[in-house]
Amino acid sequence: MAWLVVRLAISLSLLYTASAVFEDQVGKFDWREQFIGKVRFALFDTHSQASKKLLVATDKNVFASLNSRTGDLFWRHVDKTGPEGHIDALLMYGQDAVVVVGNGRLLRSWETTVGGLKWEAVLDTGSFQAAALIGVQDFVKYVAVLKKSAISLHDLSSGSQIWVENLPDSDTVQYQTIYSGGNGLVFVLGFVPSSHIVIVEYKIEDGEIMKKKSVEAAWMSSLENSCAVISSGNLLCVDQTTQSLYTLPLQSAEHTEMRQIHLQTLDLEVASGFQPVLTSTQPNPAQPPLAEFFLQLSPDHHILLQLKDDLIAPLRDFNPSYLAAFATSGEKTVAAVMTSKNDTACSINLFSADTGRRHLDTTIIYHMDPNGGKPNRLYVHAFLKKDDSVGYRVMVQTEDLTLTFLQQPGRVVWMREEALADVVTMEMVDLPLTGTQAELEGEFGKKADGLLPMVLKRLSSQFILLQAWMAHLWKLFYDARKPRSSVKNEVTIDTLSRDEFNLQKMMVMVTASGKLFGIDSKSGTVLWKQYLEDIKPDSIFKLIVQRTTAHFPHPPQCTLLIKDKDTGLGSLYVFNPIFGKKSHISVPALPRPVLQTLLLPVIDQDYAKVLLLIDDQYKVTAFPSTKNVLQQLQDTASSVFFYLVDSSQGKLSGFRLRMDLSTELIWEVVIPTEVQKIVAVKGKRANEHVHSQGRVMGDRSVLYKYLNPNLLAVITESTDIHQERSFVGIFLIDGVTGRIVHEAVQRKARGPVHFVHSENWLVYVYWNSKFRRNEFSVLELFEGAELYNSTVFSSLDRPHPPQVLQQSYIFPAPISTLEATLTEKGITSRHLLVGLPSGSILSLPKMFLDPRRPELISEQSREENLIPYAPEMPIRTEWFINYNQTVSRVRGIYTAPSGLESTCLVVVYGLDIYQTRVFPSKQFDVLKDDYDYVLISSVLFGLFFATMISKRLAEVKLLNRAWR
Amino acid sequence: MTSPGGQGGGALSTRGGATSKRMKWAVELSLGNCRSRGDRQSKDGDVMYPVGFSDKPVPDTSVQEADRNLVEKRCWDVALGPLKQIPMNLFIMYMSGNTISIFPIMMVCMMAWRPIQALMSMSATFKLLESSSQQWLQGLVYLVGNLLGSALAIYKCQSMGLLPTHSSDWLAFIEPPQRLEIMGGGMVM
Repeated sequence: MAWLVVRLAISLSLLYTASAVFEDQVGKFDWREQFIGKVRFALFDTHSQASKKLLVATDKNVFASLNSRTGDLFWRHVDKTGPEGHIDALLMYGQDAVVVVGNGRLLRSWETTVGGLKWEAVLDTGSFQAAALIGVQDFVKYVAVLKKSAISLHDLSSGSQIWVENLPDSDTVQYQTIYSGGNGLVFVLGFVPSSHIVIVEYKIEDGEIMKKKSVEAAWMSSLENSCAVISSGNLLCVDQTTQSLYTLPLQSAEHTEMRQIHLQTLDLEVASGFQPVLTSTQPNPAQPPLAEFFLQLSPDHHILLQLKDDLIAPLRDFNPSYLAAFATSGEKTVAAVMTSKNDTACSINLFSADTGRRHLDTTIIYHMDPNGGKPNRLYVHAFLKKDDSVGYRVMVQTEDLTLTFLQQPGRVVWMREEALADVVTMEMVDLPLTGTQAELEGEFGKKADGLLPMVLKRLSSQFILLQAWMAHLWKLFYDARKPRSSVKNEVTIDTLSRDEFNLQKMMVMVTASGKLFGIDSKSGTVLWKQYLEDIKPDSIFKLIVQRTTAHFPHPPQCTLLIKDKDTGLGSLYVFNPIFGKKSHISVPALPRPVLQTLLLPVIDQDYAKVLLLIDDQYKVTAFPSTKNVLQQLQDTASSVFFYLVDSSQGKLSGFRLRMDLSTELIWEVVIPTEVQKIVAVKGKRANEHVHSQGRVMGDRSVLYKYLNPNLLAVITESTDIHQERSFVGIFLIDGVTGRIVHEAVQRKARGPVHFVHSENWLVYVYWNSKFRRNEFSVLELFEGAELYNSTVFSSLDRPHPPQVLQQSYIFPAPISTLEATLTEKGITSRHLLVGLPSGSILSLPKMFLDPRRPELISEQSREENLIPYAPEMPIRTEWFINYNQTVSRVRGIYTAPSGLESTCLVVVYGLDIYQTRVFPSKQFDVLKDDYDYVLISSVLFGLFFATMISKRLAEVKLLNRAWR
Repeated sequence: MTSPGGQGGGALSTRGGATSKRMKWAVELSLGNCRSRGDRQSKDGDVMYPVGFSDKPVPDTSVQEADRNLVEKRCWDVALGPLKQIPMNLFIMYMSGNTISIFPIMMVCMMAWRPIQALMSMSATFKLLESSSQQWLQGLVYLVGNLLGSALAIYKCQSMGLLPTHSSDWLAFIEPPQRLEIMGGGMVM
């Protein structure tokens, strides 16, 4: 019976929290963009003329097929992160794509049309060097994989290993390349640095070593980039120090030395400090490569050369030229070369590979994005036209990871912003008001200049509003006649304006490559992008919104702090988040490494919040630092505190600001690093509002929340990772006084710990190593039945410690990230958004994570709507907010309040970006989508007319009665 | 007293005529009629009395002691009315229970509204009680009865939890405390 009651209570409580998306709501307010990352290998499917496939393998361990007409994904396989899923090589032959994964751990063959796995072979251990398709008598049958100490040959159709052979002297010789010209032999090339080249010749059938020779090459430092095999087995190497080319026929036995050809004899010279690069092409693995090759002498100088009768002859000199690539269609091989046209555009031309002659009418103009980076990779897709001439399309990858697909004469077919596969941090900014709204706002902002002008001004602005409204009505009427599908509001930067409920915002995203994006949150359209050059990899970014759009006519202002990981020096980039333009505001020079930033609620005369930057000498720099700001800072200095956490020393220290912008240390907490190390620290979000100051108990008394805005949650992990002794520590520390408010240790627990710190609670997830499961734990802090001080909160005057309640639950899934919903006023109940490794986002009601959940239900707990305690946390499929739109490799979830109290905007980023809205307490402040306007209005009108008619009838009747 | 009108030649009377039309009133002018009236006619001979004259004495209409008691009683009825309703209200209260739903709420509203209405129209009630000698006492009783009625309604509200008597009822009006310190920072970047 009791169990029945419990179940009833749970199901009733679920009734209020269930929030699934209906089928017809799919895609209405949510969108997903899928990305692949920086392209490392790209191959066009030249198997058939009509093929639209483009196979790519990226640095994000993604292997995907793109539609070359639209840029959409046909299919995508996301492998493990890190070196385990690293794609070492991509080879394609016909319908098969062969991929070597995880430093030569696995060899996989994929069917390219649907992306199905054909076979997978586990390779022997050893670090991967090279892989090549091996052809015999015009048929490609095998794939060879070269490891550090062994070579193996696999059947292309089944993946079965034909043979594996150890390489001779593999401890001294570095084997790096495989070559096969389709004549039944496989050559493995290796070298001993500054000594000699080793060439081993294997027989394809059984792996027998046919020949092994070594050739003197004292100048050799690397085989991979500076050597290539061309024209029926001629090894060609280039060396910068000796300024020479070296050739060697692989098969002939008599050559024991490489033939040296000085570049001077060809009137060529390698730019100093540049490692020259040789590029050859082998259109068919069963045929020897072409005799033509590119030699890159400097970053913008390529030359097409030909080896003919042991002589090297230049075919065409491309100076300047940024990029060059070969492409083959049928029997014809062409070379595409990108040269600079002017400052903003490049031109790509096609040349015939065997003669170096330019093909007529083959120019593609590539317009470089002024806010983007330089092109650095060129992929060419050549095809035969009906008149047997060669046509081509190119894909250009730039430094800022933009993929642009172009066709003649320069039409951009599609573009992909692959930098978005690696979003580091983001913010959402309100859109500006429309011109008319701004007009009205501006009226209030200005000083009064007499009564009559004010009236006239008001009238004129009202008139403008009326006009806008009429135009809007007209547009509605006009659109209503068109079919639904054709009405699609294109969002451009000019039409941006805030909507009624502020649901549409600007997403400012910072990516690891240093490219900034402004994305419309409603449609996912990239509205602006800005590539910041000279950003070192692994830089640390911190994005701060200094001024929102609320201060018309001042434009909104965002500041990006970029900190170089090596030098520690920081720089500020100030921009307008709506238009992406760099602001011309003088930024302070930061000569010392920046340790932390602090955004003060103090505003300057231009309504920009003041940003404090703390350097490694604990000196503070203010930005902006006008006189007004400094004056205000002096007034408020005594109440400005900041804390710094040094994880390596296990030290938390608190500082107070002095009048002269120096600081004094006021507290220090040391957590010994031998035992545990600090992994994360989080305060509360600055824009969080808590509507209710307490919780109503069953007996209608109040349990007041301990809402300390200065509270920090510090999570530590033990250094001992033995499963019996490992633990996770949780410290709640007041950031002003350094007082440890609460301290908890979770024994037999292990990280990674994900946690959310908000209102008066802290939710954290850890791995229970004893029971081998994930567990949620919730801490809630209460002041008790009375408030100590209901008007002001000061950390310096808190004599009573809070009451702490804690409860833990089993969560039946691993999680990858955790965040809480956020609404405008904090009235709506909270949900936790849990990103699962499967790509689903779970919206878990906070109600389930409540330490007051009773084990035995009583009258009072029922009154309070508490769900009885159950150790298992349920996962309901309707709680997945992203139905089948899974987000690969969720890295972060960003939540922002909207103008509607019921609605919270959610952006999930990782490899993909997913944006949606959640309604934790359902949409209590808007009419439902399926609200029956027709019925309601017809009933209303019906009733109105019925009253009118009955009134008339009643009058007639009264009159008649009076006459009687 | 039998009417011989039926035999009388010029009689206008219809009394007793079951079939004839019933008149609202009638004056009998015939002498025969008078004769039948009894002995007075024999005394005074043929004196004609004016129309509408009645020789019966008019009954005494002055206020008697019994009527006065009646008024008193009636006034006490009015004064005690609210008090008399209280047991009834108690019963309704008991029956309706403490759950918050439309019917109990309606009952409580009615219970609360009636005494208030009565108290508002106190002066009209006083006019009613004017004739009574114990007017002030009755007024007081009436007032007390109504106050008791409203107290009962308030008690009912209280037991239903409709009165803002707990601290939780004022929770929504507590403003978030103003923070005195500004704090920020984080891990060393």
